Amino acid sequence: MHEDTEQDRIAISLESVVKKYGDHTVINDVSLSVREGEVIAIIGPSGAGKSTLLRCINLLEVPDRGRITVEGNHVDAGTQISHKDLVRLRRNVGMVFQSFNLFPHMTVLRNISLPQERVLGRSRQEADARSMKLLERVGLADKAQQYPSRCSGGQQQRIAIARALALDPRVMLFDEPTSALDPEVGLEVLAVMRELAAEGMTMVVVTHEMQFARDVSDRVVVMAEGAILEEGDPADVFTAPAMDRTRKFLRAVLER
Amino acid sequence: MTFFNDWVDYFPDLLGGLGVSLQLTLVTLLIGLPAGLVLALAAGSKKRVVRVVAIGVIEVGRGTPALVVLQLFYFGLPTAGMTLTSFVAASLALAFTTAAYTSEILRGGLQAVPSGEVEAAHALGMARGDILRFVVIPQGIRIAIPPLMGFAIMVFQATSLAYTIAMPELMSQAYSIGSITFRYLSILTLAGLMYALITIPASSLSNFVEYRLARHR
Repeated sequence: MHEDTEQDRIAISLESVVKKYGDHTVINDVSLSVREGEVIAIIGPSGAGKSTLLRCINLLEVPDRGRITVEGNHVDAGTQISHKDLVRLRRNVGMVFQSFNLFPHMTVLRNISLPQERVLGRSRQEADARSMKLLERVGLADKAQQYPSRCSGGQQQRIAIARALALDPRVMLFDEPTSALDPEVGLEVLAVMRELAAEGMTMVVVTHEMQFARDVSDRVVVMAEGAILEEGDPADVFTAPAMDRTRKFLRAVLER
Repeated sequence: MTFFNDWVDYFPDLLGGLGVSLQLTLVTLLIGLPAGLVLALAAGSKKRVVRVVAIGVIEVGRGTPALVVLQLFYFGLPTAGMTLTSFVAASLALAFTTAAYTSEILRGGLQAVPSGEVEAAHALGMARGDILRFVVIPQGIRIAIPPLMGFAIMVFQATSLAYTIAMPELMSQAYSIGSITFRYLSILTLAGLMYALITIPASSLSNFVEYRLARHR
């Protein structure tokens, strides 16, 4: 449901990104662009560099080579990245982690409001109003005054999504958002993500949820050994993968 | 029964000394704990110079006996043209030692804050100062509170060292009464009991706080 002009606007572009830990190359010359409103699922065996690639997008990992552009703000590896550049780039990017990473010493409401106050300069009232709206949206308004430790894993992850959305990101990154959850609980998180996708949010999702990748994503990217093996329409990738390595991986996950 | 008669006679003097000891403890902690936090943060700084200086101060502070620092401040500094009253000298000297030791306790607390939370804060675009202020320091201090309370009890006991620089605290009062009356046994026993009267409940309080903090996680 986007206008045609938006269809072609690039939200994220990675150009020849390389990331090394010492001698070990984790990301080996990867290029990827994500259009505005597109939902990308990154799949592949563990150790493929999926999470590292995702973390390069908001510069939690600083790449050794290449250029990263998010919503027109770009950063070149190898140059001194100023704090201002970092903040400007991250301003448009929300991220959700496998381990939720809520602040355990703050109430749920504070978790969502504090970043709005500190990063966007919203007043406490404005921030709380926005937080409550988002909590309602993820079905957790009644948890506002609780501490995260009193919430289930699925609830914590939905709160983490609300916290990220509260900063009005144009892009959302999900790093295995359901991997730490029971399958049933994972569904409530996936439901929120489906809704977001339906609303046109640009999303990059590293996931082992093949059903979600197949149903929700516009494009599937298969990674192995730090490189993109293939990418394409989910229907094609899942039913007729081009590469042997992809076939092997899909057989392994689907036979589970 | 002279033993207990001594207690009745000299209790008021010792009580005055206990008051001075408690004041000295309080002032030492009020200076030493914030200084300890500053040292802990500096020791984890990204800037090498800051880190090296902080670690140097911490090592000297932990490596030097409190008694030596105390004497140095009171008897040594006047030679360099700086004369301090015994209370100021004792507070500063004990605060220095306190800062050095508590910085290590606090550093442990700060490091125990899960890195994922710091990462999430970065991803949210929070500034480094805000991350320290709102995420790392509050939780790090909370983790460090039980060992810090234990250290505060030791500071209270260490104030007895100030008797060597003629400060009228509890130990000093007991000692001077003893040297006049030669009733060292009864007076020092009473002084010891008065220290214990503070430290034992303080230890129980510290255990209780530890239990309460652990419960909330």
